[in-house]
Amino acid sequence: MKNKNIILLATATLIVTNIFTGCKKDDDDPTNPGTPNESELITTAVLSFTDSAGVAPDVTAIFRDTDGDGGAAPTQFDTIRLQNNTTYFMDVLLLDESGSPTDTISNEVEEEAVDHMFFYTQSGVNIATTYLDSDSNGLPLGLQTRWVTGNVSSGTSTITLKHQPGVKDGTQAPGETDIEVVFESRVE
Amino acid sequence: MQSVALIAQCTLEMKGTVVDADTREPLGYSNVVIVELQKGAATDESGNYIIKGICPGNYTVRVSHLSCESKDFKLEITADLVRNFELPHSLNELKGVSISAERQKDIPTQAVQEITGEDLDKTRGSSLGESLKGVTGISELKTGSSVSKPVIHGLHSNRVLILNNGIRQEGQQWGSEHAPEIDPFIATQLTVIKGANSVRYGSDAIAGVILVEPAAMPDSAGIRGELNLVGFSNNREGVVSAIAEQRFEKIKALSWRLQGTLKKGGNTKTPDYYLKNTGYEEENFSWALGWNKPTYGLEVFYSQFNSSIGIFSGSHIGNLTDLQAAFDRDEPLEQSGFSYHIDRPFQRAEHELLKTKGWLLTGTTGKFSVTYARQYNLRYEYDKHRPLNDALAALNLPELTYEITSHSVDLLWEHNSYKGFTGMVGCSGMTQGNTFEGRKFIPNYINNTAGLFVVERYRKNKLLLEAGARMDIRELTVYEKENGIVNSYEYNYQNFSGTTGVIYDITKNIRISANLGTAWRAPAVNELYSDGLHHGAAAIEIGDTSLVPEKSWNAIVSAMLFDHSRFAIEISGYYNLINDFIYLKPVLPPTLTIRGAFPTYRYEQADATLKGIDAMVRYHLTAHTELHVRADIVRAFNEEANDFLQMMPADHFEYGATINLPEWKKTKSNHLMVSVNQVLKQYRVPDEADYVAPPSGYVLLNAEAGTILTFGKQAIHLSLNVTNLLNTSYRDYLNRFRYYADEQGRNVSLKIKVPFQFAKKN
Repeated sequence: MKNKNIILLATATLIVTNIFTGCKKDDDDPTNPGTPNESELITTAVLSFTDSAGVAPDVTAIFRDTDGDGGAAPTQFDTIRLQNNTTYFMDVLLLDESGSPTDTISNEVEEEAVDHMFFYTQSGVNIATTYLDSDSNGLPLGLQTRWVTGNVSSGTSTITLKHQPGVKDGTQAPGETDIEVVFESRVE
Repeated sequence: MQSVALIAQCTLEMKGTVVDADTREPLGYSNVVIVELQKGAATDESGNYIIKGICPGNYTVRVSHLSCESKDFKLEITADLVRNFELPHSLNELKGVSISAERQKDIPTQAVQEITGEDLDKTRGSSLGESLKGVTGISELKTGSSVSKPVIHGLHSNRVLILNNGIRQEGQQWGSEHAPEIDPFIATQLTVIKGANSVRYGSDAIAGVILVEPAAMPDSAGIRGELNLVGFSNNREGVVSAIAEQRFEKIKALSWRLQGTLKKGGNTKTPDYYLKNTGYEEENFSWALGWNKPTYGLEVFYSQFNSSIGIFSGSHIGNLTDLQAAFDRDEPLEQSGFSYHIDRPFQRAEHELLKTKGWLLTGTTGKFSVTYARQYNLRYEYDKHRPLNDALAALNLPELTYEITSHSVDLLWEHNSYKGFTGMVGCSGMTQGNTFEGRKFIPNYINNTAGLFVVERYRKNKLLLEAGARMDIRELTVYEKENGIVNSYEYNYQNFSGTTGVIYDITKNIRISANLGTAWRAPAVNELYSDGLHHGAAAIEIGDTSLVPEKSWNAIVSAMLFDHSRFAIEISGYYNLINDFIYLKPVLPPTLTIRGAFPTYRYEQADATLKGIDAMVRYHLTAHTELHVRADIVRAFNEEANDFLQMMPADHFEYGATINLPEWKKTKSNHLMVSVNQVLKQYRVPDEADYVAPPSGYVLLNAEAGTILTFGKQAIHLSLNVTNLLNTSYRDYLNRFRYYADEQGRNVSLKIKVPFQFAKKN
């Protein structure tokens, strides 16, 4: 019977092919592990403040956790201390200091400006923030901002970077959080 | 087809013995009937029968006995024949399920439940986890709509042992997002053994064992097979699966089987919206070759499982603020229409199994078998976003790759009944290597295990007693690269396990069984070595290398009451004490990271108890109407912390009615079924171990209609199934995506099964 022969032939071919090609192999040696490759880390956020009038001294506030999420606690977590009634320009620098050389992640953020946005939330402290940069669609980015301080006060400044590929609309809700650091902040 | 031979000499005779497959006891007063000839005989007290005056030909022999399920055997009769038959015991007499597997089976003294025949047909097209949820005491642990794992009596993953065609499934079982890499279409029977069962199957069977069993190789000549087509409306999923097998006519010892499944589904739809990126694909195949003589045989089996599973985009979160926001929203922010496209994040899993088994009858005393198996498991995990670095992103590499290769050897000698005793003695060994590439979560390791066991059973009249013991050793070596130097860490575990049980038929209609068993599980590598953010869970998990094996003491008592025409009641109660139960304990303060503070958990050990009841009652209201009620209740407690255990199934009830309609024109086995599933809210949760309270309870309505159409000799099985008929919006506590999205809405499925056969007529 023809049907039968065809089925038989197909089966035989498949099984023979499978015997020679089927079994996949792990080429790695369990006893000789490679170095783990954390695909990308943001370990450090550097906030640099300069007085637009050039009078007040520059201020830098850093969050640094070089071994990434978990493990050892952050090694540096500064308080933001700004002069009252002053207008500052603020630049954000994001680094991956887990390996060598240090990778400047904020450059990548700038390249993919249409997918990213920083948000600054002031709580209890008398500071007003405005965006100074924008992406190619005209939506704010936030690597460069203006911080105008008012009267002496203290509270927190939260800096959030959202990754919003395809969903960036100028609001904070869409996407997922790449960084969220709550700095203690003071206007003195 | 060849022409039918001249009127052949109808003088052949067939004789033999009918025995109980479980106990090997002869079955007196059973019937052996050659269906085509309407000719048969009853066995005498010793189970012997003889049928005379048979014409040569291919026949279906139906063997039946009062206390067993009837069973059909296909065989060719060309000469006088001695043929012995085995009949499996029926636990549930109301359902006429037929079991096609023909082999000696252990009937465990634990609670056991099987899905075969029509019941298995109803689950076709579903994953293994979904297929099993119809069994009392089993629930489903889900990650979104595409990843499902079976939960037995509240426990899952590393605590449930799965045997795929007799081989321990060695895959990536540690995470709740890793579904078993098994195609249920290879099985003609799924068996769940509830209760500790380390003695027969080795470590890890803390909660139970799931057996995925293909049919035995065919024992009559001809090609036969089955085509299954399944379509689901909700995610527009299509499934095609086919199986074909043959025993050769001229070379009678030789047989083969070939089986394959293709599956593709798109985005799942909740009642109100689609879940973005929840499509999946599966391509699986298997083949088997058998060389079976009456006294020895050799079988080779190979299977390959390949799947790609999209992970719901809205579940990917950066930190706790995102999680809280996701929970506060009624609907996920990221939505889409329907699509089959699988984008990041997704996972790809492959599993290969090669099994070779040889067996030999050791005279009349028993049967010796040796099995070698190689398994290879590969898993790629792709994160939602490619790296920011362009050069890295262009490679489009998985962020995580695991490969596990396992080789195992099992030796087993089963002895035939001797003065009421049957039993087996065996030993097994395995060596396993794991490697990873990419983000570190599980380090490289080599795991060697060896075990030796013996189980004996004694049967006299209405009583069956069982006792067994096992010794296991396990040597785990972990390799880590630290500051450029490879360090190795060795962990040795050994354990003794035991089991003892009894089955007693109080009357013809009441059977009780009881089992006291122990099981153990060495800490898994993630429990020893995790240290970092578990992205899916938005939590930092910290392992502990000083963990010791957990050990369970499990008692299970079951009672079965059945009256052939009216009712069947099956009820089990269990108590599982687990010493050094490994669990995640919240630690304060939360861990501060650049993405905010994450709740932090450490793997700890404490004595825990799980106790509960499984019950199933079937009642024949009329000759054609059957009602059923099912109840699953689990209570799980951490005895040291004096608190509940997390992620335990809520109380679950099912109420259903089946109406069997009479045959009509070319249809038979017509039936309608309506069922209501009720899951209560889980109130018994530990304090401060979860971000949000468990979701409310829910009630779902399901319906099903089925028939068998016959066109001449060709039968076509059709079944139409609707789950969540009322399109109810709900969330389930055992679904990790309950934070983000609702469960699947109404889903209509059509299942078509076409058995086929090319048998030569003489």
